[in-house]
Formats: sequence, C-alpha cells, structure tokens
Amino acid sequence: MIDPPLDGVQTPEPEPAHSADPDAVPPQAGPPEPKRTERPHPLTPLIRGWVVSLALIIGLGREILGWFTESRPLPPLQLLLGGIGGIAVIAVLIGLASWLATRFVIDADELRIESGILLRKSQRIAFDKVTSIDVLQPLAARIFALAELEIDIGSSERVKLRYLTRARSYSLRDYLLSRAHSHQAELVHTEDPGLQLGDLSAEDEVLVQVPPQRLLLGAVTSNEFIGLLITIIITVTAAAIAAPYFGGPVLVLALGVSAISGIGGFVVRRLTGQFNFTLSSRPAGLRISRGLTSLTSQSVPPRRIQLVRLSQSLWWRRFGWYRAEIDVLGMGMRNEEDTHASVSSVLLPVADHAQVRLVLARIWPEADWESIQLHPAPFRARWLHPVAGPFLGLGHDDLLVVSRHGWLERRWDLVPHARVQSIRIDQGPVSRKLGLADLAFHTAGSRLHPHAYGLDANHVLERQDELIMLAQAHRSDITLAPAARPAAPADQPGPEALRADQAEATISDTE
Amino acid sequence: MDALFQPDGDWQRLGDVAVVSHRVNSLALNLLASIGLLVGVWILTNGDLLWVGAAAVAAASWTTWRVIRIGRWIRSFGFREGERDLLITHGLWYKSLTAIPYGRMLSVEVTTGPVSRLWGLADVQLITASHRSNAQIPALRATDAARLRDHLIALGEKQALPL
Repeated sequence: MIDPPLDGVQTPEPEPAHSADPDAVPPQAGPPEPKRTERPHPLTPLIRGWVVSLALIIGLGREILGWFTESRPLPPLQLLLGGIGGIAVIAVLIGLASWLATRFVIDADELRIESGILLRKSQRIAFDKVTSIDVLQPLAARIFALAELEIDIGSSERVKLRYLTRARSYSLRDYLLSRAHSHQAELVHTEDPGLQLGDLSAEDEVLVQVPPQRLLLGAVTSNEFIGLLITIIITVTAAAIAAPYFGGPVLVLALGVSAISGIGGFVVRRLTGQFNFTLSSRPAGLRISRGLTSLTSQSVPPRRIQLVRLSQSLWWRRFGWYRAEIDVLGMGMRNEEDTHASVSSVLLPVADHAQVRLVLARIWPEADWESIQLHPAPFRARWLHPVAGPFLGLGHDDLLVVSRHGWLERRWDLVPHARVQSIRIDQGPVSRKLGLADLAFHTAGSRLHPHAYGLDANHVLERQDELIMLAQAHRSDITLAPAARPAAPADQPGPEALRADQAEATISDTE
Repeated sequence: MDALFQPDGDWQRLGDVAVVSHRVNSLALNLLASIGLLVGVWILTNGDLLWVGAAAVAAASWTTWRVIRIGRWIRSFGFREGERDLLITHGLWYKSLTAIPYGRMLSVEVTTGPVSRLWGLADVQLITASHRSNAQIPALRATDAARLRDHLIALGEKQALPL
C-alpha cells in the first residue's frame, strides 16, 4: 500500500500529532511513513469527569432531600463531599485512560478509530457506509468550544468521537459527508464558527427555517397536546367530583399543579428541542440544525432516505401545515422524542405546503407526489375503517408510491419504488368477505411502516404485477436531477460493487 | 384459493413430511400444555373432578383443532420462483402474499433445529435490507432447501439492485 499524500490532513489540536506506532518496522515493500493519528481534545477526561460528578450530585441531592423529609440524620458533610470528590477523581482517571487509549485517523484512504482500555478495539469504517454524521454540543462541552462527533454507520451502535474542537468537528463532518457521496474531497480546516444557535456555513443554502411562533402554535394545536389536554380535563373533573369524599380541595389542587407542569413541560420540550429548526441544503446533502439548550446538527444524505411521511394533526388541516418525517437507512431504533440532543427522524416539524414541496424537490427532484392520481378505497371499506374510510387511497407513478391513511392524524406515505425491498398483500377474514385487501411496502428503514389499507381487491390484483415490476426496475438515482445525472451510468454500480456495498459496514476487531 | 394470493405460475407446495412433522410437533407441544393445564386446575380446585373433566375436554378439543389446523396451514403455504421475484403465500384466515425481487436479497439462510433435523427438514429464509420482509419458507427437505438457496443466490447476484 502506498500512502497517498496527507496534505489534506490538518491537525488543529494543540498537541502534536502522534505517530501510530513508532516502534513498528516499516515493511520492505512500499515503506509508508507512520500514519498520523489524532487524539480527542485533552480536556475530554475533565468534561467526562464533570458529567459524572454532576449526575452524582443530582442523584445524591435527591436522596438527601428524601432524608430531610423523613427527618433522618444526615451523614457528615465531609463524608459526602469526599465521596463525590473521590468518585469524580476516579471518573477523571478513567476518562484519562480512555482518552490515552483513543486515537483516530481520518485521511484520504481510511477512517479508523482505536479505543478501549482493557479491550482494545480498532474500528475501521468504509467511507460510503456513513449514513449520517451529527455534531452534538452538550452544555459542558460547549463551554470549552468542544463538540462530539457521532457517526452513524447503519448498525445499531453509533460511533462516537468525543470531544473535539468545534472547528475540527465541523471540518471532519464536512469531509466525511463528501466522502460518503464518493466525492473526492479535501479535508479543509474550517474556522471555529463560535458559540452560536445556528450552524451554517457559507455553502449552505437555507431551505426552511421554522420561527418559534409557528413552533409554539404548532405544538399547541398538535394532536398530542389536545390529547394531553383532554386527559387532564377528564382527570381533574373526576377528581373534583370525587374530592368531597377523598382528599378535599387539596387533591384537586395537587392534580391541577401536576397537570399544568405536564402541559408546560410538553410545550417547553417541543420548543427547546426544535428551537431555530433550520433545514439547509449543501452539496453533500441536507442538514438539520436545531435546539436551544443543546445544539444538534444532523446530516441527511438524500440517498439514504427510504420514505417520507407527511402527517397532519386535526387542527393543522385548517392551517395547511404538515409535519414531515423520514426513515433513513441505519437510523436504527431512534427514539421518537424529538426534543433532546438525540437524533430524530423529523425532517420538518411544522411546515406549510410550499415548504414541503421545496424540500421534497430537493430530495427527489423528479418525483411529483401531488400529480399522482390516488385511487380511493371503495365505499365498503368504511365497514372496516369507519372514520378514515373516505381518506384512504393509494396511487403510484413510475417513481413513487403514495399511500394516504389515518384519521385523527392524516398521513401520506411517499415511498420511491427504488427503496421498496418487498411487497406484501394481506387479507383477513372480514376483508375477504368485503373484497378488500391491504398492501404493505417493506423498506430498509425501521421506524415507519408504509401501508395502504382497505383497497379494492380487484384493484390490487390488477396492480400487483406492476408494483412488483416497478420495485425491481433498474433506474438511475432518484435523488439526482436529470441534468446532474452522469451521461454514462457511472453511478450505477455493477453486481460486484453491490456485493461489496452490502458487505459488513465496519471491520472491527477486539484483542 | 383466489387469484389475488395465487397468480398463475408454477407453485411449489410443502411436502407431506412437512405436514406430518408439524402435526407431530403441534401435538407434542399441545399435549404438554394440556397436562400443565390439568395439573393446574387439579391443584386450584382441590381435585374437583367436574372442573378437571371440563378442562380435559377443552384441552383435548383445542389440541385436536390445532393439530388439524397446523396441517392445513402448512398446506396453504406455497412459493413460486418467478423470473425476477420470489412469491410466497400462506395463511388460512389471514392470507398474505409476499413478493421479493431477487435483486433485493442480501443473503439466504438455511436453518434447521434439532427436531426438524430428525425429519430431515430445513427452513429457508431470505434476508433483504428490510427486517420486515420476513420471507421464510419453512420445512423444506434439507436437499431442496440447499438447492433453493443456491438457486436464489445465483439469481440474486445476476439481478442485484442498488440498496
């Protein structure tokens, strides 16, 4: 192996770059100079120690509050402080050891991370396996202008690099994203963008920015909020009726207080999690940045998007607002809590029709979901789907399948044929009597399950061959506009390349 | 079966061995469960023969029903190796038809457990990028399973589609 030039690599860290293995004897053939490896920022162990002791203080504080109310004797203060201090020191020491053990290489020909104190682990990741990269900035790291790089490679475990300087995180993120698209990219040093709420660079083009007012209004009119409200009203009314027999007004008061804090918590979580939600476009893909207390920025390569689900809460119909969710290959079982610094599947929290159009045109330039003629479910489907019946429908053109369903929340599932892995037709005993059938489209995502319900069985019978044919048709990349598409299908890998593509994403070994 | 779940073509069914083996398995499992149930009822009712008798009748009819049913379910199973896709159909009350293009297959697994090995049977499972595809063909003869696997892999390599 001949080492490619490393001029693209820069090490903005204050400490000198470490050689991977200074004692290694270079092999005879093509003696490469030792690879330049990096370590995370030296403040890392301190921050991790701080996080541990903070968790400890909060945990202990709760215990002690409990002791107060039970009027138990407190242990001496010295013991407490000593205990916390001791554990914090141990945490810092462990952090230090793991920092010493962690090294990474990101250069023109590999992305490799070595970590582990006792169990040494060397993880090498193929560039094209990187599905998304997130730069997370928890509070403690933010203070020191550090950030955490989270690399999603499609397996359940996400590769974490923490903590790096913010500038380094962003430049690595940009580099890896370009490489994920098989662009030849140069690793360039970006300036530290500084502490800011947004996260945009010069080449970013802002597509959608959700103002806080709309976020607030959207949260308050969402089905979740209304459901919460109804539950609370029922509980408080029931408590008010039962109050004379049980705890009296105190009961109602206590319930009311917890209800208000519940509502407040919901709105605040929505607001802080999605604050300043910005969807921007850059050559390498889409990027989402959001969050008030901790800024999350998340990259979404359009090629990995398996489907888009538009949904509309009951009241949003009036405003013409939509929420867009995506299922991305390798997003794994990401939680639905779109609030904290974790990565979520929300593409647009609240958006109007024009914005949805704009964003979808970026993802799938040629697909036009609105021009697809939907075939409604027959009237008899209302026996099985009394409320949703009139809304159910399925349609497709040669790029997309669109399924419309849902009643309290209306949903449109948009699935490109190119992402359909298999199709299933289902029919239960009642459906058979009614001459109905359901369709399920299996995609590589794991969160959203696109379905079409209550279809006319004869209609399905006529379409099934066509749908199956479309699912397996060879076609050029749906994420590219016709102009941007290469004349020769260079992007279309042959069977061999595909096998390689489907091979294990990471080569990791433990010693 | 209607045309919806069985388009024209050369459908392959599971053999009699599969039916017999599933019936025996089902019988064994249900008898075990029945004995457990009867012992439970005996203890709970302090040996009241009326209750135990009723439970025995219920358990016996359930077992009979399951044993008949599992055989019919296995007979309802069919698969068709089409030109470009594999179709799998099954179900009595809840019928389903799954279509998997060969190009979407990532791998094919042949599995066999200790019991099915006694019968010389094996299951074939197609793996696609979607974990919901759930394309399994149970209880094939081991030689048929191996042949099917090799055939599917060969077809899949020829027709591979991008992920």
